[in-house]
Amino acid sequence: MQQAIPYKSWSLPLSNNHATGVTPKLTTESAVGALKDAVSENAVIVLAPRGCCMSHVVKRLLNGHGVNPMMFEFDEINESEILKQIESIMTEIDGTDKRRVQFPAVFIGGRMLGGLDQVMESHITGDLIPLLKQAGALWL
Amino acid sequence: MNSASMQFVMSRRMEIYEPMHQIGMWGEDYKSSDILNTSTIIEPVRKLGSENTSQGHSGTLDFKYDQEASKPTDKVQRRLAQNREAARKSRLRKKAYVQQLETSRLKLIQLEQELQHTRQQQGLYIGGGVEGSHIGLPASVNSGIAAFEMQYGQWLEEQNRLICELQTALSGHVTDIELQILVESGMNHYLELFRMKAAASKADVFYVLSGMWITSAERFFLWIGGFRPSELLKVLVPLIDPLTEQQIMEAFHLKQSCQQAEDALSQGMEKLQQTLSESVADGRLGEGSQHVPQTGTAMEKLGALVSFVNQADHLRQETLQQMCIILTIRQAARGLLALGEYFQRLKALSSLWATRPPCQPIS
Repeated sequence: MQQAIPYKSWSLPLSNNHATGVTPKLTTESAVGALKDAVSENAVIVLAPRGCCMSHVVKRLLNGHGVNPMMFEFDEINESEILKQIESIMTEIDGTDKRRVQFPAVFIGGRMLGGLDQVMESHITGDLIPLLKQAGALWL
Repeated sequence: MNSASMQFVMSRRMEIYEPMHQIGMWGEDYKSSDILNTSTIIEPVRKLGSENTSQGHSGTLDFKYDQEASKPTDKVQRRLAQNREAARKSRLRKKAYVQQLETSRLKLIQLEQELQHTRQQQGLYIGGGVEGSHIGLPASVNSGIAAFEMQYGQWLEEQNRLICELQTALSGHVTDIELQILVESGMNHYLELFRMKAAASKADVFYVLSGMWITSAERFFLWIGGFRPSELLKVLVPLIDPLTEQQIMEAFHLKQSCQQAEDALSQGMEKLQQTLSESVADGRLGEGSQHVPQTGTAMEKLGALVSFVNQADHLRQETLQQMCIILTIRQAARGLLALGEYFQRLKALSSLWATRPPCQPIS
């Protein structure tokens, strides 16, 4: 079961929740300004348009590692806004990062790992686990 | 039918013509007590037995033998009226049934025409044969797919050539540098295939997904438009020994990662199937309505299939590359050779199966 966390209550401290079976979800009624905070405050967060089947794939893959990522789902109409926000976050972290943002976009430890391509790649090469550990999403 | 106007009843058996009393409305379920019986003369009629087709009544009619020729009884009248009613209803039902058949027939003709029309538009792809040339139907073939079929034929020829080169190199004495070049060629060749498949998916994702372009035996192992990486690892790794402990462990982890990624993709596909099914079924079903809602959404979902094929191919590519990292050059060359030969054998098996004599017992 998934719960949508409304914007107002979003500022409450969100603990790293792979202990629970619930996938946290953010809705976008407001919410674009909250994106930056969401990215920096969550060890693992996935940004995807609503109903995207690929986000399901990313989620399953991360679940397999014992990680319960925060899912940030937005409506199609907000996509360009969200894109701008993501790009500004990326520039802040690393101005030289000119990669095209692909959805579902996965952020680990506040930095964008990439789309499903990158996640698959790092999963196969074994680089994903150290990244997750570094971000504090995994302890074992 | 209102048999109140019926005046005579002709009883053939008795050849008696009797005027009937006006009885009033004859319903299906009247009880004998409802009938006004102004005459109590009972007609001597023999029991008709199986000829009695009266519907509403259970049991046979009782007739008393009476030697007096008399008017037909209410029971007889009732029975005959019921027969008439039953016959009438039967005719009506038959008429309705025939009308239904006619409508269905028309609909069937219409559907067949539509089907033929769409088939012509999309064309039929005859692919999957390694043996001989790839033939596509002229004129009505999707040009992207036609291009792919031609390219795939050429790809297979080049693949066979590369396999031969590897065989020669490994059976002789070849330096590691030379092997390195061969391995890189082999890997790039697979990359080429994945690029071709990406373009073909854009042209017609169902063509790629249903494996129209490979042989039937290969199709048996199909997973999202190609081979399943973890299965391939299971087949190949035992053939590449000797492997060090480290390598065995790494190969094992790679196989596990593959399986995890495959599961994630498979589940994503299932979710897509589910949502597609829901959008197709959305709106009023079963009412014969022509309106198909949600076509836009359904079309979008189908578009997502292209991403799935791309992701699956990406996984295949990553797996092959990771194998090359784990293995030494010589081992990688042997691995590529084994892989190539494996698919050659599958294709050969397909041909063998397709051309087997009809009475051959399968041992």
